[in-house]
Amino acid sequence: MAGRSEFSASARGVSNCSTQSYLCRGDSHVFPSSPVLKARINEMDWQGQKHAEMLMQIFLVFSAVAAFGAGYLMHDFRLMMLIYAGGVVLTALVTVPNWPYFNRHPLKWLDPSEAEKHPKPQVSNITSSSSSKKKASKNK
Amino acid sequence: MHSAVQRANTVATIAAILLATICAAASFLDAFNSPSLQAHVQVVKINRFRRQLDGNDEVKMTLKMSMDLTSLFTWNTKQVFVFLAAEYETDTNSLNQVSLWDHIVQEKERASFQVKVPTKYPLIDQGTNLRGKKVGLVLHWHIMPISGRMIQGKMPLSNFSLPDSYTTRS
Repeated sequence: MAGRSEFSASARGVSNCSTQSYLCRGDSHVFPSSPVLKARINEMDWQGQKHAEMLMQIFLVFSAVAAFGAGYLMHDFRLMMLIYAGGVVLTALVTVPNWPYFNRHPLKWLDPSEAEKHPKPQVSNITSSSSSKKKASKNK
Repeated sequence: MHSAVQRANTVATIAAILLATICAAASFLDAFNSPSLQAHVQVVKINRFRRQLDGNDEVKMTLKMSMDLTSLFTWNTKQVFVFLAAEYETDTNSLNQVSLWDHIVQEKERASFQVKVPTKYPLIDQGTNLRGKKVGLVLHWHIMPISGRMIQGKMPLSNFSLPDSYTTRS
């Protein structure tokens, strides 16, 4: 998250999504309906990312074990490869796109109107000029 | 794990590592396969036994072979290369091995067969030592797996003696 703009935005208390702006303005009634569209637009939240990673590991290890067992029992190496490839594709379909299932605990960013009521406190007189210069560059 | 591309990279990496693991496991189980094959070879006749123009002895013969290689095949076997070698001893070399015939078996169903065939490659000596020589026939095989290390083996078969004199003049 180092290069993302959200970090600097959270310091100011304002959400500055890199994605489509109407989602971040608070127009929550304007929301895409289909999960595929949601996956293309939304990101995953932190809990979702952890969940997705866990699912990925479980799916992949299970695919490998199932493929090896099936190949060994049926005496067919090609069957093992096919089952494993199918398992990998299934894992990729489930964990890689940003499904809305992984976004059930989204972070609540501060409203822009709230942020203006509580401006960032000044650190000290000596560094105030440099911090206001920094703010000016961030405000753009 | 933030963007979809990073997750795709992670899936690909873990999938590759697990693929290597299951291939290694399949290859590892091959070590527990103890093959028990039967083979029999018999020299039907010596077609030609002469001395070549450059001075070396040469023998061509007809062999009758029957073998059953099905126990060499596992689920991890791609093909089996089998060849018959003639082994004998001379004054200059303590062991001479000359391949007379070879065959590639790619399916387990075709691993058991009998052939009566002239030798693919003539038995050519380094010198003129073959008259009256006692020659042993040894069957060698190389099992080539789909994943893993090649496995070699051999089995000595019957012996035979070459005639004391050339059958045709060179």
